[in-house]
Amino acid sequence: MLRWLARRIIAAALVVFVVTSLVFVVTHVFTDPATVSLPLEASEEHRAQRRAALGIDRPLGVQYWDFVSGLVVGDLGESFWQNQPASKLVLERLPATLKLVAGATAVTVLLAAPMGMLAAWWERRFPDHAVLGFSMASISAPPFWIGYLLIIVFAVQLGWVPTFGSRGFASLILPSFAIGLASAGRLAQMTRRGIVEELRKPYAVTALSRGFSRSYTIVHHTFRNVASGFVTMTGWELTRMFTGYTVVIEVVFAWPGVGRLAVQAIEGRDLILVQAAVVVLATLVVVTNLLVDIARRMIDPRVELA
Amino acid sequence: MSGASPNTGGSTERLLEVKDLTVGFPTRDGIVRGVDRLTLNVGSHERLGVVGESGSGKSVMGLAILGMVLPPGRIMGGSVRWRGEDVLDPAVAGRVRGREIAMIFQDPMVSLNPLKTVGSQLRELLKRRVGLQGPAIRRRSLELLDMVGIANAGERLRAYAYELSGGMRQRVMIATALACEPTLVIADEPTTGLDVTIQDQILALLHDLSTELGMSVLMITHDLGVVAQFCDRVQVMYAGRIVERAPINEMFADPQHPYSLGLLHSVPRVDRDDGELTGIPGEPLDRARFPPGCAFEPRCSEARGGCRDAPPPLLKTADRRWVACYNRPAEGSA
Repeated sequence: MLRWLARRIIAAALVVFVVTSLVFVVTHVFTDPATVSLPLEASEEHRAQRRAALGIDRPLGVQYWDFVSGLVVGDLGESFWQNQPASKLVLERLPATLKLVAGATAVTVLLAAPMGMLAAWWERRFPDHAVLGFSMASISAPPFWIGYLLIIVFAVQLGWVPTFGSRGFASLILPSFAIGLASAGRLAQMTRRGIVEELRKPYAVTALSRGFSRSYTIVHHTFRNVASGFVTMTGWELTRMFTGYTVVIEVVFAWPGVGRLAVQAIEGRDLILVQAAVVVLATLVVVTNLLVDIARRMIDPRVELA
Repeated sequence: MSGASPNTGGSTERLLEVKDLTVGFPTRDGIVRGVDRLTLNVGSHERLGVVGESGSGKSVMGLAILGMVLPPGRIMGGSVRWRGEDVLDPAVAGRVRGREIAMIFQDPMVSLNPLKTVGSQLRELLKRRVGLQGPAIRRRSLELLDMVGIANAGERLRAYAYELSGGMRQRVMIATALACEPTLVIADEPTTGLDVTIQDQILALLHDLSTELGMSVLMITHDLGVVAQFCDRVQVMYAGRIVERAPINEMFADPQHPYSLGLLHSVPRVDRDDGELTGIPGEPLDRARFPPGCAFEPRCSEARGGCRDAPPPLLKTADRRWVACYNRPAEGSA
């Protein structure tokens, strides 16, 4: 187990390294931070000055070496929009994003698991159709639209929770649902399908033949067997959240997270800061996948230690 | 382990009474009857065999006796009574399943939960279905594994199904069936897929346990050898219907239904030199195109015109012998 874990961590670190190198290629080979940060009509002299200031007049190899060695000690360069280290800016915003993703994941799991079990329990009956309806609606609606809808109903009309910002637990509720509903819809359908399939398998038939109720069999026998897939899918949903949903929803709810910072960095033409945000988000995705692997290993003893 | 035991049905208390049980599966060509007006009785201390080829509805029958049918199938008619109570009533079924009637399934690899240890599968039964608590659960678990001949019981409790051999898995399956001390065990092809030597061991184990614990057994199998070794009485099933019912010795000495005859002739015998094996001509029935008459008629060498009109009823031809064939006169009729 420990050796397996060590191998997985090394592999994850390699993935992070490759991804960040790709980010470097995009930001330094196809364009450069100096050009992007200046207006189109800036003079050639002005550009050269900016390049020298940022050290990107040096050969690419040297710059890459700087980038990589900086990465190792957590130095992702200087944001020229804020005149602060980019890593500091990103890490300041990281807790907010993690909080949001945690909230959205809680919404996803707490809605999807019971809804999937309920739908399977009442297969082809009303609750099944209702869950399917919810899933279709939540999957089809864009998260930002769900976000605005939630704001209008619960914040503006009912006044139950703040419209935006991150002040306490109450303000976390709406953005978590805005992100989590679509994920819950997808996951509920996957859970339902999995349980319905498992219920026809001999071990479930055996459990039922021993007199265990359908609900007991679903919760204690079949759900365990779909849990591995459930965790994997939850991991994918987390990936979607880190790489897309948080960016959109943080803007909609003025949530001070990494996603909104990335958008602001793009608007401020601060390529160094964009790069730092991407590196951190990509690392989160890789860490998520690692955690998913560990969780699957704990659920199913048959998962190969490969 | 000989054929007949002292108690051979009839005189003993009737436990299970199945009457006209019919299970249908909707298909594109209409409803296919997996089990068609099935009638059978199992008495106390009795070992009844149900024999038939694959697709004859044996497994569907086994589950239907517990009121279970895999969707989209459903029970279309008939009754199942356990000591007089209607098992098709869900409330009764909840009581009877596992506790009074326990099933043993064909493939123990997939019939045991792959993600639960042997111990936890026994524990949940003993806790939830028997009502044991605390250390009594572990004590009884060890006892059960011991009863089914598993050595190192303490260690095996921590094992997962995939860590056990096929024979061992089937022993665990039997232990889970015994956990609630059932009165009847329905064994659906319990030895199929196991090595021949293991088959014998499992069969012997079931035989001994049923004698020791006074359990009745309903043995569902395609294997006449299993029936000969194990059962007191046998019913032959073809296309979801019972075509013959007889005490074991009489069935082997003098099969009456043409299908039973064919079945016996297609089994190699070491105790007699019958010359060549003969199969049954034709193919197993395409269940979607069910003939209106006797289901065996298309393959039957004795078929006459009348066989195609309506399925022959199962009639008594002699003491404790029943046959569903127009060519066999019923008792007292001829």
